[in-house]
Amino acid sequence: MKKKILVAALTILITAVIGIWFFVFYKPTHFKRDVADEKGISISAPDLVKAFQDNEASANSTYLDKSVEIKGEIVEAKPDQSGLTMLTLKSNDAMAGVLCTLKFADTTLKAGQTITVKGICTGFLSDVVLKEAIIVK
Amino acid sequence: MLKHLVITLFFFGAINTETIAQNLHSTKAAKIRFFSSLAAEDIEATNSQAVSKLDTKTGAINFIVLINGFVFENELMQKHFNEEYMESPKFPKSEFKGSLTNLSAINFNKNGTYPATASGNLTIRGISQPVRATGSVVITNGKISIKSIFKIKVKDFGIAGSDIGKSIANELEITVTSLYD
Repeated sequence: MKKKILVAALTILITAVIGIWFFVFYKPTHFKRDVADEKGISISAPDLVKAFQDNEASANSTYLDKSVEIKGEIVEAKPDQSGLTMLTLKSNDAMAGVLCTLKFADTTLKAGQTITVKGICTGFLSDVVLKEAIIVK
Repeated sequence: MLKHLVITLFFFGAINTETIAQNLHSTKAAKIRFFSSLAAEDIEATNSQAVSKLDTKTGAINFIVLINGFVFENELMQKHFNEEYMESPKFPKSEFKGSLTNLSAINFNKNGTYPATASGNLTIRGISQPVRATGSVVITNGKISIKSIFKIKVKDFGIAGSDIGKSIANELEITVTSLYD
């Protein structure tokens, strides 16, 4: 009986140690956020740009650092300095759009196509900016 | 007569915009990397979505970058960087406004690598500090690219925390590479 309790206690202790190590030390530093696993906030490219143009502070509190899933028309697709694909999606304002840098290069995308992308919103410069984006559709 | 005047004005207008367009160069994909090196740990993060504008006539150059766009290898560090050190929801952007100080030594119409110096104000967390940077301007068949490496002191921008000096260096090395459209 005593032996059983000891075995049970040891098992719990070992599980706890491994658990604490995993969740406190391993996971936070080794886990990489991936938009593919997150449910994005759905919005169209013109609506997202308008939200930032109307009130940047309130749009930041809604979208900053969040996964956002955007439907829009590509106005420009080209590689950046590192060879990653940069897409600009159209809004109702010719001077602003949604700039998405894709996680994986994709040279098949062309201006004029309508697509859905999901990425992490980093804020608003001349465009609303999305990083680490993936093509959903 | 009036018709001629209108046409003349129209052409002047067209010529003017043309010359402005030739001076102004911009990109939405300038790359900014910072690097902290200490015996204990090396930390680096990169943002490849900075907006930069360069006026080759006046030498004016600026960069603006979103703090949340810096990507770290370690996700936890990225979280601490945004939440504790940079307070990115409160100060979402960082900006450099300055000018090339040796503009006359750079021939933007001739291929080559030109040493360049810049000075201006760098704003991080709402605090502006003067900075000087050296680097190079490379002209390749009309395309302009610039590269610069300079250092900033963390405490100049009011960035505090117990890890500064321990796992985060007091001085950060900033590398800027910008290829203009």
